[in-house]
Amino acid sequence: MFKFSGQGSITNCDGISRRDFLQAGALGAIGLTMPGFAKLKAEGKVDSKKSNKACIMIFNLGAPSQQDLWDMKPDAPSEIRGPFKPIRTKSNAFEISEILPLHAKIADKFSLVRSCYHTAAAVHDTGHQMMQTGRLFTGGVNTPHVGSALEFLQGRRSDLPAHVILPESMGPTGGNMPHGQDAGFLGKAYDPFVLNADPAVKDFKVPDLLPPKEIGEVRLERRRELRELVDSSVRNFEYSEQAKLMDSNFESAYRIMTSTQAREAFDLTKEPLKVRERYGMNRFGQSCLLARRLVERGVRFVTVNTFITVFGEITWDIHGSKPFTSIEGMRDIVAPMYDQGYSALIEDLFQRGMLDDTMVTCLAEFGRTPKINPAGGRDHWPNCWTVNFAGGGIKGGEVIGKSDDIGGYPTERPVAPKEIVATIYQALGIDLTTELPGPQGRPYPVVDFGTQAIKELFA
Amino acid sequence: MTFRSFIAFAALTSAAAAEAPSFRNTIQPILTRYGCAMGACHGAAAGQGGFRLSLRGFDDEGDWISVTRSANGRRLTMEDPARSLFLLKAVKAVPHKGDKRFEVNSPEYKAIADWIAAGAPGPKASDPLIVALDVEPKQLVTKPGVTMSLKVTAKFSDGHSEDVTRWAKYNGVNASVATVDEHGVVKTTGRGETVISAWYLSRLAVSTLVVPSDAALDEPAFAQMKPRNFIDEQVLTKLRALNIPPSGRAEDHEFLRRAFLDTIGVLPSLEETRAFLADKVTDKRDRLIETLLQRPEFVDYWSHRWSDLLLVNGDKLMPQAMWSYYNWIRRNVAANTPWDVMVRDLLTATGSTLENGAGNFFILNDEPTKCAETISVAFLGTSIACAKCHNHPMEKWTNNEYFAFANMLSRVRTKNGAQADERVLFSAADGELVQPLTGKPQAPHPLDVTTAVSMTSTEDRRVPLAKWLTSTDNKLFQRAIVNRVWANFFGSGLVEAVDDLRVTNPASNEPLFAAACEHLVKQKFDLKALMRTILQSETYQRSSITLPENITDLRYGSHYVPRRLKAEILLDTVSQVTAAPTTFKIDKRNANKGTSESYPMGFRALQLPDSNIASYFLKSFGRADRVNTCECERTNEPSMAQALHISNGDTLNQKLAQKDNRLDALLASKLGNEKIVEEAYLIALARLPTEREITKTSAMLATAKPEDRRTTLEDIFWSLMGSKEFLFNH
Repeated sequence: MFKFSGQGSITNCDGISRRDFLQAGALGAIGLTMPGFAKLKAEGKVDSKKSNKACIMIFNLGAPSQQDLWDMKPDAPSEIRGPFKPIRTKSNAFEISEILPLHAKIADKFSLVRSCYHTAAAVHDTGHQMMQTGRLFTGGVNTPHVGSALEFLQGRRSDLPAHVILPESMGPTGGNMPHGQDAGFLGKAYDPFVLNADPAVKDFKVPDLLPPKEIGEVRLERRRELRELVDSSVRNFEYSEQAKLMDSNFESAYRIMTSTQAREAFDLTKEPLKVRERYGMNRFGQSCLLARRLVERGVRFVTVNTFITVFGEITWDIHGSKPFTSIEGMRDIVAPMYDQGYSALIEDLFQRGMLDDTMVTCLAEFGRTPKINPAGGRDHWPNCWTVNFAGGGIKGGEVIGKSDDIGGYPTERPVAPKEIVATIYQALGIDLTTELPGPQGRPYPVVDFGTQAIKELFA
Repeated sequence: MTFRSFIAFAALTSAAAAEAPSFRNTIQPILTRYGCAMGACHGAAAGQGGFRLSLRGFDDEGDWISVTRSANGRRLTMEDPARSLFLLKAVKAVPHKGDKRFEVNSPEYKAIADWIAAGAPGPKASDPLIVALDVEPKQLVTKPGVTMSLKVTAKFSDGHSEDVTRWAKYNGVNASVATVDEHGVVKTTGRGETVISAWYLSRLAVSTLVVPSDAALDEPAFAQMKPRNFIDEQVLTKLRALNIPPSGRAEDHEFLRRAFLDTIGVLPSLEETRAFLADKVTDKRDRLIETLLQRPEFVDYWSHRWSDLLLVNGDKLMPQAMWSYYNWIRRNVAANTPWDVMVRDLLTATGSTLENGAGNFFILNDEPTKCAETISVAFLGTSIACAKCHNHPMEKWTNNEYFAFANMLSRVRTKNGAQADERVLFSAADGELVQPLTGKPQAPHPLDVTTAVSMTSTEDRRVPLAKWLTSTDNKLFQRAIVNRVWANFFGSGLVEAVDDLRVTNPASNEPLFAAACEHLVKQKFDLKALMRTILQSETYQRSSITLPENITDLRYGSHYVPRRLKAEILLDTVSQVTAAPTTFKIDKRNANKGTSESYPMGFRALQLPDSNIASYFLKSFGRADRVNTCECERTNEPSMAQALHISNGDTLNQKLAQKDNRLDALLASKLGNEKIVEEAYLIALARLPTEREITKTSAMLATAKPEDRRTTLEDIFWSLMGSKEFLFNH
């Protein structure tokens, strides 16, 4: 069934049908990978023409300051406008901060939404929930991340999981683990595959993707057979959700480890050094590059977390005091890294003709206070911030919405997080009235009823 | 509430106050009920549109000033209340971002108009204060598809009561059983049990709804269940009420493996398994329980458990201090110190942090509010963090209580000791924590207690704090520890989410919870006694095999719920089965790289004092990082990374391939193939192989070429350790 060479490396697996995999796993509770898709397609809820669309969501954990980056207020008093100056860009519609010079050169490719806001508490977690799922988690309802909903609705396009998180899930930003990063009520079977490794380290490889050399085809088959023998002897587990999940994880693991395509996708050494360097030889840059490779090979949704924590790391969370970051830290470390990685990704996708089918969106959980605080930083501010979109059928070089003179509140076209999420769904070809099976099997529309995508963004 | 009852309400209030509606008791509830004072609107920390209210109206004085005085008093028009901006906005007669909140001439509109007409009087010291909130029905057994209204009554300090159904805020815990709307109308949607909470003036009341299964009660199944102790009695009563039949008793081998893993975190050895299975005495399970409670591994297991709770962490503490903290925990576990004594010693620790390891608790929690929050989560299973900025929105904790409690910890100080890395902990004679709302220190007192500790006394405030915390009157203290111990043996607590005890998150079996707490108090907080009672119960000894009628039950004890072994135990059992110990590298930055220093060979993961160990295995299987006091730090959820690691990772594969491990010993033993397979099964799964297993597996060994014999056995062991039966406790 699996074709392995004597050295244990896999020579061919692409010929294997899905059914073979199901049998290979011989595990209960599968059929997890291509569930309601056919049905939804039949009902016309999914536009199959768009199902090769993909999305890369760059999540700017910590939250960048709009006044210092993409919504500058040069005419405001110094404690508002901050230390940086705007520069002209390739777009006639907007200027951008001098600390993002490479963004300026590709400003015709992306558009800014300068009027995003939310009304929940000004803590990281609320924004993480809403920006990744479209909803605040109230009443114990954990809404799925867009990427997980997509995996549920459209299944996988290749041996690779439909939704991958690079390089790691976000860690705690206060009390809890941030919510909104996983499949929520859809169940853990639709949780994203989390890389859990730094693609910038020298001999980067996906942890445990391939069997050790000495375990060849014969032994792998033997192990699988023996494991099935043990598992079929006890019937204590059939009903346990955790056990079903363990089974489906083993199935996915078999599938990914026997796939040439999967191995290729994660192999950054296949990229010319020049390309790797263009993205930046750091965790963020190489994650962006890896995101492109994954999308090229059929991954539908990649979430790139720019940072993993806001504590003790130089991040966008520029409170000005320890353990957070200073404005200078952002200027000298964060912005250059981000500028390089993002611009490389957009250029690369464009040059490869992938940008039309791949939406790249850069989100954050909130903005930052218009007024610089006594520590010389800016604090949390959910009342107004800027997000950006490129590719996936949207127009570049535009500005949607407007903030007031200090970047404190939207004055034109306020945009709520659910509209951002609706925009992503739309770009991915998901009808906004599509229903997911919510808690206790209740129908749950992907976004609140009546929510619209940001139409002005689309060409 | 009908309009008529509102009139009655208005009449009552006016009769009570004989004047205008009270700001505190009439206007504030309206502002909360209609969302004005909620976090998304004016209750946000910065207010909304320049108008700021306290979240859910916890600050009467401040809100009154906001409504009547702020913005130059433009919100109210005393001579013509209907023209007040306050009302015009609420009914959206002028543009209002928050939309229309209620109708013109609605009861709330009139109440506010009357209040303005009366000169908008502020809160007064003489206002009656709410003393109790009551909801009817308190408990109801009903069917799916039923609709009914709740009735909420508030009692005040002047003796009068009001029907406040219309102004209460409602919340349902489990929408699959029942939903509640904003008017307090409940609809049952499915079967099971749920709780609806009603909130009014920072008070909470709950109504429990039970929708039992409608199948005929399986009387014979219940009749043959002989309760061993109070746990079984209470569980059976509950199961009867819900009409869920219990599963039968677990087999001896299942109980053996289960009790070992849940109590001491190791597998029974080959000899122990053989002996136990062969033993014919009737009380062998009780005897096993006694042995387990006395085993040295018991100390490892529970020291590890409490080290998770108390955050023993080499990234935050210097090595000597970390060891001193850990050894303090170990000594107490070994001596089976009563839980109340142990906590009291911890919270009143003074002196050198190297000599008295307990003091490191205060090094990790070096600030009064943080310390108060940690104490509350760790020992009361309750989060009070919300109340730092405002009254807890869903619970009873107020902002004042929070600062009163934190002020109990404001005099803890440290100074440098004589040796490097030594800190000396002491209580200063002065120092106060300021309540930011008033700018003054809040008179210190423990939670839920109204008499303050003297502010001038120089006694260490932690002494009365610890005394109150561990007193037998403090139900939360008992509930928290009972729930933690319960969760260890049953996978989830009597209150699910072990450290989330609150009125609105009730126990799956409240009488059982109360009885278990009483039992613990009677046993003088002897945790081993509680564990013994749990282990001996028929409930714990039930099979994990379900019946069609109890398959969906995960909370009420009708069967044992299988669950994945936690990271450390899994790693230890893999080492135990292969007889190939793990090397643990000390990891200064917790980056999973490790330094050159290692723990002595043979250390088990459960014996590590510290979570700061480089281990991909432990990390991907979800160990706790010990940064925050929260059960959520640990996860036992399976993931694809785990499946990949079991298949391809270096943990199982290296241990299987290691020289002179268990496999080599078996191959060298001259045992026949069938015997080898039998031993492998007994070692890994504590059971004999089935006919089919032994035939197929021993045939594989028999037909293997000599050079492939070892790898065949490796694959047999791999399949045992990769099976769900191994990865799970069941």
